[in-house]
Amino acid sequence: MFKKAGKTVSALLTTAMLVSALAACSSNGGNTGGATNAPANSGTNEGAGAATGIDTSKAVELQFYMLGDAPKDLASIQDEINKMAKEDLNATVKFNYTSWTDWDQKYKLLLGSGQQVDLIFTAEWTQYQSYAKKGAFQPLDELLPKAAPALNEFVPKDMWEAVKIDGKIYTVPATYKEYVTDGFVWREDLRKKYNLPTPVDIATFEQYMDGIKKNEPTMTPLSMNSDVKTNLMDRFKAISHSPVGALPYGIDVKYDSPGEVSSYWGSEDQKSDLVTLKRWQDNGYMVKNVLAVKDTLQDQVTSGKAAAILGDNPTRFNDMVIKIQSTHPDWELGYYPYPKTNGIATPVHPIHNGFAIPASSKNAERALAFYEKMVTDKRYNLLTQYGVEGKNYEVKDGYYTMIGDSTSNGFPREGMNGWAWRNPEFMLFDKNYDGVKAIFDELDKIQVPDKFTGFAEDYTSYQAERAALEQVEKQYLFPLNAGLVKDVDAGLNTFMEKAKQAGLEKIQAEYTKQWLAYVQEQGIK
Amino acid sequence: MQRKNGLWKELVTNRLLFLMLLPTLLFFIINSYTPMVGVYYAFTRFDFNTSLFNSQFVGLENFKFLWKSGVLVKLTLNTIGYNAVFILLGNVLAIALAILLSELKTQWFKKLTQSIMFLPYFVSFVILSVIVYNVFNYESGFLNTLLEKLGAEPVDVYNTPWIWIFLIIIFYLWKNLGYSMVIYLATITGISEEYYEAAKIDGANIFQRIWYITVPMLKTTFVMLLLFALGSIMKGQFDLFYQLVGNNGMLYNTTDILDTYVYRSLKVTFDIGMSTAAGLYQSLFGFVLIMTVNYIIKKINDEYALF
Repeated sequence: MFKKAGKTVSALLTTAMLVSALAACSSNGGNTGGATNAPANSGTNEGAGAATGIDTSKAVELQFYMLGDAPKDLASIQDEINKMAKEDLNATVKFNYTSWTDWDQKYKLLLGSGQQVDLIFTAEWTQYQSYAKKGAFQPLDELLPKAAPALNEFVPKDMWEAVKIDGKIYTVPATYKEYVTDGFVWREDLRKKYNLPTPVDIATFEQYMDGIKKNEPTMTPLSMNSDVKTNLMDRFKAISHSPVGALPYGIDVKYDSPGEVSSYWGSEDQKSDLVTLKRWQDNGYMVKNVLAVKDTLQDQVTSGKAAAILGDNPTRFNDMVIKIQSTHPDWELGYYPYPKTNGIATPVHPIHNGFAIPASSKNAERALAFYEKMVTDKRYNLLTQYGVEGKNYEVKDGYYTMIGDSTSNGFPREGMNGWAWRNPEFMLFDKNYDGVKAIFDELDKIQVPDKFTGFAEDYTSYQAERAALEQVEKQYLFPLNAGLVKDVDAGLNTFMEKAKQAGLEKIQAEYTKQWLAYVQEQGIK
Repeated sequence: MQRKNGLWKELVTNRLLFLMLLPTLLFFIINSYTPMVGVYYAFTRFDFNTSLFNSQFVGLENFKFLWKSGVLVKLTLNTIGYNAVFILLGNVLAIALAILLSELKTQWFKKLTQSIMFLPYFVSFVILSVIVYNVFNYESGFLNTLLEKLGAEPVDVYNTPWIWIFLIIIFYLWKNLGYSMVIYLATITGISEEYYEAAKIDGANIFQRIWYITVPMLKTTFVMLLLFALGSIMKGQFDLFYQLVGNNGMLYNTTDILDTYVYRSLKVTFDIGMSTAAGLYQSLFGFVLIMTVNYIIKKINDEYALF
């Protein structure tokens, strides 16, 4: 009888543990299963690593983690890489992929569970700054000159400076310069057909949507989904208020005056924005059940369901153009970058793409030396970016050309999601990419520095409030953003009241303090 | 001393049986008891660079986010409310259907009905959410297209919280009824025919036979399923709620349960301490509940208690 009780208790508490892993219990599914760190072929060491200045006498297997899905031909590429790496560094590598499903949970578990991970992708959108601050990665300052001198030289000094968190380097930034700033995307063929204005700001964008609504009643003018925080509000604010970045907690800092912090939530600005959004909803520019839509913004446009996206970056815009070319050649898409209106053309911050060595790694030197090969050795780089020449791709007139199509080819361009180890000297571009390059060239002329991404928020002291606020935002602010609340003033008041209850003031005060310290320390004006 | 001898003797005499028990014991020790050490995470500040027991002890700090947003009571009530309805309605309907089916004499019809009712159990909630969206979305959903054809006013289901109380219960039943019905059906099959024959001879009609024989015989199964279900009453049906409601804040007042709340809050702040705290709260609540109910059942009828 007692045993039964014990079973129940244990079952309950096990579930407690399972919940602690939250939905990520499926974490190690798929490609991430290779936790075996037993070197496959130990023993014979050629000792060829003399040039690197590190000890390579012991064979190791490196665990390499990237987000997203692995290309089909990964196994053969990995074998090729391992042949070279075995000779150069007496190391083999296992490329692991998290898949995009719940990648954020898996990422956190990879860093938190203590399992051996030697190289992992970092970006501002994977919370590099916060993780680095919390000690999830190993500092690289002393390792770099020793284990990866060529890489140390290859990455410009100012980029090393830019990725520093609390004065230490925790990630190896990518050196390829691109823009991920947003811009309006719309169906240009329809614009011409109905003689609508070209969207350059919120007012013209609204006129465009209005024209679509009137002339194409079955079409939804605005492509939107349930993530109204990022897809609607961040973009709306970016084009209409010129903030320094997509700041959390309703904090507002203008690009031109980074030293002045105010609250966007509860402000007159917010009120008038919400009135505009309610108008969009009432006029049917967005679907009524927008908070239940799960389709991506891009799919809604390429399938013809919706006519325009409030904001998307040049590369993704170009992907849509390519897709439409094959499915609906008579359609046309237009693009207008925000920076041409608000002047904030910030090239991607070095933090945007990088690789770090987690605290759990026991092979930091070798991992870094291997990463150096990935970036600076043309053989490694081309193989991991484009696959095997002649099998996966060929070079025609200096352009990258895929052999076969995306279904038959087992390694499409940048199939390993190798954004972080792009080397501008070796990069090959598809002819279609010329459109993006044209936009980049335009933005180059008006480029200004990124003042925001280098900031590392430390939310340890208010993480309970932060989690509580998340709930309040979803419950009370999202419906307002989607224009679904009849009385905007009353709705905003309720939201502010609930947010304050959750500890908004404490969060804002602490964030402001950290931000101002950062601005002063970095001398940002 | 004697007890010890007794135990040893027991082990020796039934060694084969104990050997057969060993895998199960090991399974629970490895998968259930050992990980329980991790409960301590709920009381520490997680740190990447030290081990669990060297982390800083923070007391109840990690539990704070649960009541900070002021919705803990509502969440707990929602969770218990939904689950109570699921358990009661689910079991009552399952029993009723099982009795109906068992009284059917046409075999092929019986089997067919059973299979059709069982099928939804295999439909994933992700697919269900897509179906639901296509039925109920305002602009192009099946329901509103139909209403429009009939000349009626369209209904904005996704922005009307109270409808979802019923929708969620209906979809839960739709999905799980077939499964629990089979359990009861199996129990009914196990009831000896002799009882019914004797009752028939005594002149009992079909309703009396059901009420005085079938229903009382199902009581044990019912109590056991009830106790099992109570243990997870604080868990709710995460998939069901999360897939159907998702990010739609308009519906949270009536559809938010602890699981979905915790998931959403910690998706942004993934903190091992805080998620363990939430899990511990749910488990403790479930534990207390199951102990209480089991105690009450034991008081009433010792035979039916789980332990």
